[in-house]
Amino acid sequence: MAHFLRTYGTLLGMVLLVGFFWISLPDTFMTARNWLNISQQVSMLAVVAAVMTVVMVMGDFDLSVGSMASLAGVVAAVMFVQGFGIAAGVAAALAVGLLGGLVNGLLVSLIGILPFVATLATLTMYSGLAFVISGGKTIFGRDIPQGFADFARGGIALGGDKPLVLPYLTLTALAVVALVWLLLEQTSYGRRLYAIGGNMEAARLAGVRVTWLRLTAFGFTGVGAAVAGLMYAARVASANPTQGAGLMLSAIAAVFLGMTMAENGQPRVLASLAGVVVLGVMDNGLTQMQVDSYVREVLVGLIILLAVSISALGRRAVTGR
Amino acid sequence: MPQLSLSGLVKTYGAARALDGAGLVLRGGEVHALMGENGAGKSTLIRILAGLERADAGEILLDGRVLTLGSPAAAEAAGLRFLHQELQVVPGLSVAENMHLARDYPTRFGLVDWRALHLAAEAALQRLGVGHIGARVPMARLGPGDQMLVRIAATLLQGSGPAPWLYVLDEPTAALTGAEAARLFTAIARLKAAGAGVLYVSHRMDEVLALADRVTVLRDGAHTSTEARADTDQARLIHAMTGRELSDMYPARQTAALGPVLLSVRGLAAAGLASLDLDLRAGEVVGLAGLAGSGRNAALKALIGAVARRGRVELAGAALAVTPAGTWAQGLAYVPRERRAEGVMLLRALAETVSLPHLGALSRLGFLDRRAERGAVAARGAEVRLKARGPGQPVGQLSGGNQQKVLFARALLGRPKVLLLDEPTRGVDVGAKFDIYSLIRGLSAQGVAVLIASSDLPELIGLCDRIAVLHGGVHTQTLAAEGLTEAELLARCYESPTR
Repeated sequence: MAHFLRTYGTLLGMVLLVGFFWISLPDTFMTARNWLNISQQVSMLAVVAAVMTVVMVMGDFDLSVGSMASLAGVVAAVMFVQGFGIAAGVAAALAVGLLGGLVNGLLVSLIGILPFVATLATLTMYSGLAFVISGGKTIFGRDIPQGFADFARGGIALGGDKPLVLPYLTLTALAVVALVWLLLEQTSYGRRLYAIGGNMEAARLAGVRVTWLRLTAFGFTGVGAAVAGLMYAARVASANPTQGAGLMLSAIAAVFLGMTMAENGQPRVLASLAGVVVLGVMDNGLTQMQVDSYVREVLVGLIILLAVSISALGRRAVTGR
Repeated sequence: MPQLSLSGLVKTYGAARALDGAGLVLRGGEVHALMGENGAGKSTLIRILAGLERADAGEILLDGRVLTLGSPAAAEAAGLRFLHQELQVVPGLSVAENMHLARDYPTRFGLVDWRALHLAAEAALQRLGVGHIGARVPMARLGPGDQMLVRIAATLLQGSGPAPWLYVLDEPTAALTGAEAARLFTAIARLKAAGAGVLYVSHRMDEVLALADRVTVLRDGAHTSTEARADTDQARLIHAMTGRELSDMYPARQTAALGPVLLSVRGLAAAGLASLDLDLRAGEVVGLAGLAGSGRNAALKALIGAVARRGRVELAGAALAVTPAGTWAQGLAYVPRERRAEGVMLLRALAETVSLPHLGALSRLGFLDRRAERGAVAARGAEVRLKARGPGQPVGQLSGGNQQKVLFARALLGRPKVLLLDEPTRGVDVGAKFDIYSLIRGLSAQGVAVLIASSDLPELIGLCDRIAVLHGGVHTQTLAAEGLTEAELLARCYESPTR
């Protein structure tokens, strides 16, 4: 029983959650349209949670993903204001993401600062930079190219009498998750990241280039955060220096929720995705039930605590301590 | 003298029967050794004594009265004290404070009376005969041996509660150097002279034979034998533990012709090592002997590239790389000394530890070839006689001996030219030890050159062709192992460089 709860507790909770909303919202919740809607709502979070998993696999953290997402959106928007095209704006944002991620990696791996401290500092820096570059204002309107915003509204038509659309944002998120899955689960690179998380000194002595891998993994996470920032900016057709702020905590929460499902409580990207879905379903269902957004936050926090507690208790029952 | 007798202890975990009617009698003023292979039930028996587990059946009598050990507090009240392999110390606090962790600090006017604290600690240290340890020194500055002595001394603090009379030492020397162990043995003799009993759990035959008054052997959870030290010897104990005749732990030397020089070391220096010159030929087994701090372990770390080194080292004629990534790729393999800290990933599948240094060879265009990995891990696992449920089993669930075999499987996977082994049989039971020795012999017969750093002198003499002796970081001499006695090798280890 304990073992069952530990392994499947979160999945069970997910099923109960879906069941609850299905019953409470019989007409609107369990529809293809709503699920496509949820998939679009969580797409940014899914991207950030996936790339957060990459560093958490090594036992590290990146607290700066949210402010990096804001910064990347602002950088693209400022490029658009300067008259550059979509490609240039996107490229600049991604380059900033890579650079910011590598700075994190440098601080953590070469200088040896704890990831929590290093990325807390860069969180503040990147956020400040976003304000500086944007002048503290939201950039919107004619300056944002039509094509950029259209990407977020568009999708692949699925047919049906009231035509359903599979949003491009959802596809983008799926592509990122698939890429991270390939990287972590199918390549020697990913295996080495897990080894670093499993035992850093042992990994080093076994010939894993720990410094280089941590550096590049943080770089990857930075790019991912920038992708999420671009998705966000496209979705709201504007950019402001705080719009990514909520992503970091939710992403870490999603990875933690995922870790309660994985064997030995290790971060796995598909489990993180499941964590994202749990958060997205809660948000969607509670919004439809017109639960106040502050109450929603309390409930989300409670759900995370519940999942992690069950997992911890289950583990204690299994190991006997 | 108090007497604690355990009889008919049974403990099952699910389907596995850890204890199956085990028992023994412990008396004050006596050192009682407990031996057995991993999985024989020693740990379970100790956990029951410590009040961490309850036996399913069986009886524990203290001086003839039934004793219920339902909790650690009950064990403590009965006068039992436990010292585990992994010591619980607070490195940042002083020796005296560490000794007072589990009790109230002496106070004056409601404030800590530091003078009284230090005096009490010093008195206890003196009583154990370890006055060389200062009460005010930070715990972090002591070696593991002295830390253990501090923990024992802490039980001698005067004051609250019943006085301890039985000490349970679980593999106390696993992390200790020879000199540290010697000090521990002196302390044990003092405890015994003062009327205390000691339950001494160890894999190390020489220690048991030197210390124990009586020896109990467990096998498969059951009591096999209890004999007085005078009535037993190594061969009898090994037989009792394994049920096998191991007339000699060390497989016979093959007199194969040695091949060309594979590893050439000239003027190797690193932190803790001043100089080492050595030629290692294909098929040769060479030992590195020396006291603690002699540089024998530092030499291996320098060779694998874990620490910066100076000097000229060539592997099969090519200059040796300076990072672990490079040296593994060139055909060097390494089994580190600290298995848990430096070797395995406890929570992850054992296959991942085995394949880690060889991922490059096991993947195409960066993508892992899982089938190749599974095949290679299974083959090497069979070669080292690894006992595990499968390649997916987490390393942490394996016994010490099997964890060590995981590291040997890892070392063999890349078909190394030269194998570096740092304390290869540390904390490993007799059966696994024998497997490891056979393995080393087999590898040398295949032309692998093996360099072993070990504090276990009989092991070096039994396995090696030549032994390089280090003293204070300096390579003083190289001896032929054939015909060497343990006493002579130890004497050589104490010789300073003649310069």
